[in-house]
Amino acid sequence: MKSFAGTYESSDCFIRVSPFDETKIQIESSVMEQFGDAILKVISNTLKQYNVQNVFIECFDKGALDYTIKSRLTTALRRGGYIE
Amino acid sequence: MSRSYLFVPGNNPAMLQQMDVFEADAIIIDLEDSVLDYDKDAALDLVHNFLAQLRPQHLEVFIRINAVDHPQFTQDIKRVNEWKIDGIVLPKATLYSLQLAASKTTKPIIPILETPMGILDAREMATLPRVLGFLLGGEDLTKELHIARSKEGKEILYARQHIIMVASAYQKRSIDTPFVSTKDFEGLQEEASFAKAIGFSGKAVIHPNHVPIINRIFLPSEEELQEARRILKKAKEVGSGAFSLDGKMVDKPIIEKARSIIKQYEIYTRK
Repeated sequence: MKSFAGTYESSDCFIRVSPFDETKIQIESSVMEQFGDAILKVISNTLKQYNVQNVFIECFDKGALDYTIKSRLTTALRRGGYIE
Repeated sequence: MSRSYLFVPGNNPAMLQQMDVFEADAIIIDLEDSVLDYDKDAALDLVHNFLAQLRPQHLEVFIRINAVDHPQFTQDIKRVNEWKIDGIVLPKATLYSLQLAASKTTKPIIPILETPMGILDAREMATLPRVLGFLLGGEDLTKELHIARSKEGKEILYARQHIIMVASAYQKRSIDTPFVSTKDFEGLQEEASFAKAIGFSGKAVIHPNHVPIINRIFLPSEEELQEARRILKKAKEVGSGAFSLDGKMVDKPIIEKARSIIKQYEIYTRK
């Protein structure tokens, strides 16, 4: 099931989760060059923590810190029924 | 003990991250009115991870949960119990709702008194040891009373004084209602000075720009400090419980008040 969480406000991010035939992560960020790898790591680690696979994660970042990315992804996963 | 209690929306990362630059003595992270119903779950996740990773250590941090009759209450209190915070702020509190909340947590609680029943129940609420203090919710109270909220605040004077009496009798904090006109700094100064003069220990804040004014007003003034120091000096010299200073009788309650002023000043200026 498709689900989402977060906003496009500064210091936040919007995350959309959809079912997919493999795990795929797509990131759009104004600070992609400096923090793209760090954002990818937070998303990957959170998916690992919850043992979630076969999802397409779209992250639209507006300068979110790690805790915000993790929080928005957690909320979106729960809303989509991927975790409890 | 704190002078300023700043409300910060619980689903706003930019505000959460900046909470320690606003210089409030205490922060109340809000899960209630400032969070839309469909984002209550998102706020819980955000606050959970924020407190785990970035909780400022030099501030008191409280969480305003949703009221006991809100569908989110059970989930809020369950999550809040896991967090390292200084207490829960309980909206629309009555004796019944406070007892219900207290049965589900071991955290200290600050009830918001914003209904006529809440005001009337204050004394019984104060007998619960985990009640840290009371916060007056002037806007909701006047709504419940079907009266207009005025700048002068005559309509909430009874509620203010009742809260101060109860809080003082039971050694609790008394926190005045926030001043809602964000740009009227003169009005804020008047209202905060009045709140301090009638006995409130602090004031709630809804805009960061109000914090410095409230901190300054609730800090003992230079005159109060000098007077307190003179009283304590003379008490030490005389060595008895009662004496005369400038033709005025000074006894134990006045000496204790002087000690309290010095202590308050030391606490607030150490931060």
